[in-house]
Amino acid sequence: MAEFHKEDIARLMDGVLPWPAVQDMLKSPKDLDRFDKYLEIMAERVPWDDTILLPLTPQLMIVARKGERVVKCLCGQEYGDYRVNWKLSALVHVRDSQQALDEIYRGRDALDEAWVQLREYICPGCGSMLEVEAVPRGCPPDFEFLPDLDTFYREWLGRELPDKCEYEDRTLAVVAEWSSEGE
Amino acid sequence: MSEDKGLKLKEQLRVNDRELADTGHLFGLEKLERKESDPGTYEAVWHILSNLCNAAWSVGCKVSSSPIAAEGGDALWALHTPTGEAVCVSRGITAHPGLLADMIRNFIELDYEDYPGFHQGDIFENNDPHYGGIHAPDFDMAMPIFYGDELVAWTSCVSHVSDCGSVTPGSIGFLNPDCYSDGLCIAMEKVGEADKFYPWYDMRIKSRTRTPDWVLGDARGRLAGCITVREKLIEVIDKYGLDFFRDACKEYVEDSRRYAVGRVRTQAVPGRIRKSQFKDLAMKGKRVLLGKQDIDCLFNLPMELEIKADANVAISLRGASGTVPFGENISPTALKSGLLNGYSHIVGFDMFNSGPSASWEVETPPGGSWANPFEKDFSASSGVAWAPAVMWMSSLYEVFGRLYHMRGFIEEMAAGAATTMTAEFAGINQTGQYVAGLTLEQACNGSPARGFTDGENSAWCIYTPNADFGNAEIAELYYPVLYLGRNLEPDSAGYGRFRGGLGHTAVWMVHNTPSIEYQCGCAGIRSKTISNHGMYGAYPAVPDRPAYAHDTNVKELIAEQKPLVHERGDPEDQQITNNVKARELEDAAIAPFVTPEPLQDYDIIVHPVSGAQSMGDPLDRAPAAVEDDLNKGWVRAGVAERVHGVVAVSNGRWTVDEKATAEKRKTLRDERKGKAVPFRQWWDEERKRVEACENMDAAVIEMWRSSMELSPGYGDELRAFWRLPEDFIFELPAAGKEES
Ligand SMILES: [Zn+2]
Repeated sequence: MAEFHKEDIARLMDGVLPWPAVQDMLKSPKDLDRFDKYLEIMAERVPWDDTILLPLTPQLMIVARKGERVVKCLCGQEYGDYRVNWKLSALVHVRDSQQALDEIYRGRDALDEAWVQLREYICPGCGSMLEVEAVPRGCPPDFEFLPDLDTFYREWLGRELPDKCEYEDRTLAVVAEWSSEGE
Repeated sequence: MSEDKGLKLKEQLRVNDRELADTGHLFGLEKLERKESDPGTYEAVWHILSNLCNAAWSVGCKVSSSPIAAEGGDALWALHTPTGEAVCVSRGITAHPGLLADMIRNFIELDYEDYPGFHQGDIFENNDPHYGGIHAPDFDMAMPIFYGDELVAWTSCVSHVSDCGSVTPGSIGFLNPDCYSDGLCIAMEKVGEADKFYPWYDMRIKSRTRTPDWVLGDARGRLAGCITVREKLIEVIDKYGLDFFRDACKEYVEDSRRYAVGRVRTQAVPGRIRKSQFKDLAMKGKRVLLGKQDIDCLFNLPMELEIKADANVAISLRGASGTVPFGENISPTALKSGLLNGYSHIVGFDMFNSGPSASWEVETPPGGSWANPFEKDFSASSGVAWAPAVMWMSSLYEVFGRLYHMRGFIEEMAAGAATTMTAEFAGINQTGQYVAGLTLEQACNGSPARGFTDGENSAWCIYTPNADFGNAEIAELYYPVLYLGRNLEPDSAGYGRFRGGLGHTAVWMVHNTPSIEYQCGCAGIRSKTISNHGMYGAYPAVPDRPAYAHDTNVKELIAEQKPLVHERGDPEDQQITNNVKARELEDAAIAPFVTPEPLQDYDIIVHPVSGAQSMGDPLDRAPAAVEDDLNKGWVRAGVAERVHGVVAVSNGRWTVDEKATAEKRKTLRDERKGKAVPFRQWWDEERKRVEACENMDAAVIEMWRSSMELSPGYGDELRAFWRLPEDFIFELPAAGKEES
């Protein structure tokens, strides 16, 4: 029966927990306080003090900061309101020419620039590649996850967040602002 | 008749539906009384029922004798409640339990209880997608089980036959232009009674399939397995009592629903998940059957999940693109069944049965799309309906991987799936027998990367837990080919911090046949494009690119003891290109295809089977893992350096230069920032290119056109994102239109 010590979770995250211990975790009934352990581990690892509300990806956290909930990279780079697709605040390297695609997919594996573009989302702070999209031209960027944070804390974790936030996708509102600024 | 108040089964269905709606529990079971009062017996009987289905699988596959069943185990048996809910299933093709459950329900809905009636020993079948089947080669069977004079359960089976009599030989009918070419059709029929098929059932298979002995063998196998379930089940009921059996079956299904919901609630996060996904079917200029098929297609397979406050899951395919004039359209019933397969892998796998699907709200896919074709295109073909559906389902692995990650359940995560490129042969084999059938090569992919480690190589298959590519020697017995190689394929998974498991490549030499057709089929592949599985910054796996050489000098090469082809080699330096001369040689073919001419002795086929998807920034991959891959030949030196930023030297054995690697990685990170631009800057330019359809293939344009027409809301959102005019529609350039 796994005991799910915090140190073991940390080693699991780093990919260094021995396989028998991982198997034990897979087979045992789960630890219901895993989320709290996970938040503690992440808080110890980041070089900043904001409270982590939800780890969105291994690299990007939703944090509480001065009454706002923003997306923040481990390196400290911020991406704004979590209800706006964070990709809008990232750097992007788009491979949409044959030459740029061929740097990754060579020879027999070559992609066709008229069918697919590779969008590499890069953190302006640390240069990490946060997500890669492989989609045809015209596909809006995936907003992978818009959490219902208040329901999550109140109804699933049994504790209220100090403030409230409407559960809504605000991405298109930002795009609309860009467009009116451009005119 | 059911046990409650003498209701008819159809009336019982209504009661069940109402109880679920009123209480949120299947069969209104707010308490699992049998489980609570006697958990030991409850658990023991579950395992007995489970073993009973697996015994049927063993018996049925052996009786079958077809290579697909006997060697590949590509079949499945299940036990159902009187109203059709799957209680328990065997190993095998797990894409089917949902479909078998719906088929039984349909027999009830169609008033078959009144006419022709249900009796012990009756055999019912369906393979018609119009009535909920997936595709013609999957024969779905069900038999009612009576205890005394009461219908107490159903047993069901599906087997994938080697040839279903479709317009082209075999069972992966991607080339079928319409349903009239899909082959032998069994439309919700009673096909036998008293444990015996009607004579005309056998006669139809004899006259309408190309491999009747195997297809009939599969029918006997299905029947043998179903009888096994029935006879053993009667012993179980004798022992544990009918009341217990009835109650426990309902509880197993409700228990499984609770497990799936509980898992979402304790291991996921409420909110909205979106994942785009695309799949190509490029057929322009290839050997096709009808003029309308001389086109390239791109499928739009978007997934949106809403994890709701009550931990139920709403699932949508809004934005799905239109039907195609090929066999790659699927009915909503079959799609939902496929979804249950994926869901059972990653969410509800404690007791695999119908339960979890009661926690979904699946939005009906847009009418006229590949996922709901018959509303607008009643003659759409479903020859290999699974193909786009499985690519859509692959997103389910990644999105649940993301959800589990957010709660810290790293050990439960997975990246996206591998693809399913099939190889089928049709023609006269070395014994003079006509064969048409699938090799098992594709039933053994790499498994997806996990949150803490790489996937397993050649050990996983999305549609069956029995991943197994079969013995080469057995394949050589059936088909006129010799294996020149069967190797793990380096760099065949995505590139990331954790790597997907690698796939493998089979190299065949055609041998001892007057001629044979090789069909490189699509049961869910990408070849012009790749998956959108760049999870956490990984690069998606390479496209499916087989190779072949026809009319070759290989006989001479053998006589002269010169090098042949045993593996693919580097993407820019391939063995087949280097070593073989041929009248026709394709070394990076866009799949799927049938070779323009049948193949002959000494022709070569290089058939790669895909690895799975990866996760995480490739520059974060542990240098020691890259070193290990280099020494095993699983990553090529160029990829190690360019993509993973690992500097290594070889003197027979690779060693990583830690310092140079750290410097190289820093340089690459800085270069990334230099090459990238702020999103908004790109968006400003890109939206003009989108509006002008700049450098967009006709297939891309047509896909957007149909997606936006079939799902207006999806179209509005796309227009809003790129700030396109409100009346903007994607249209092929005028020149393209004049041609047609
Ligand atoms: Zn960063």
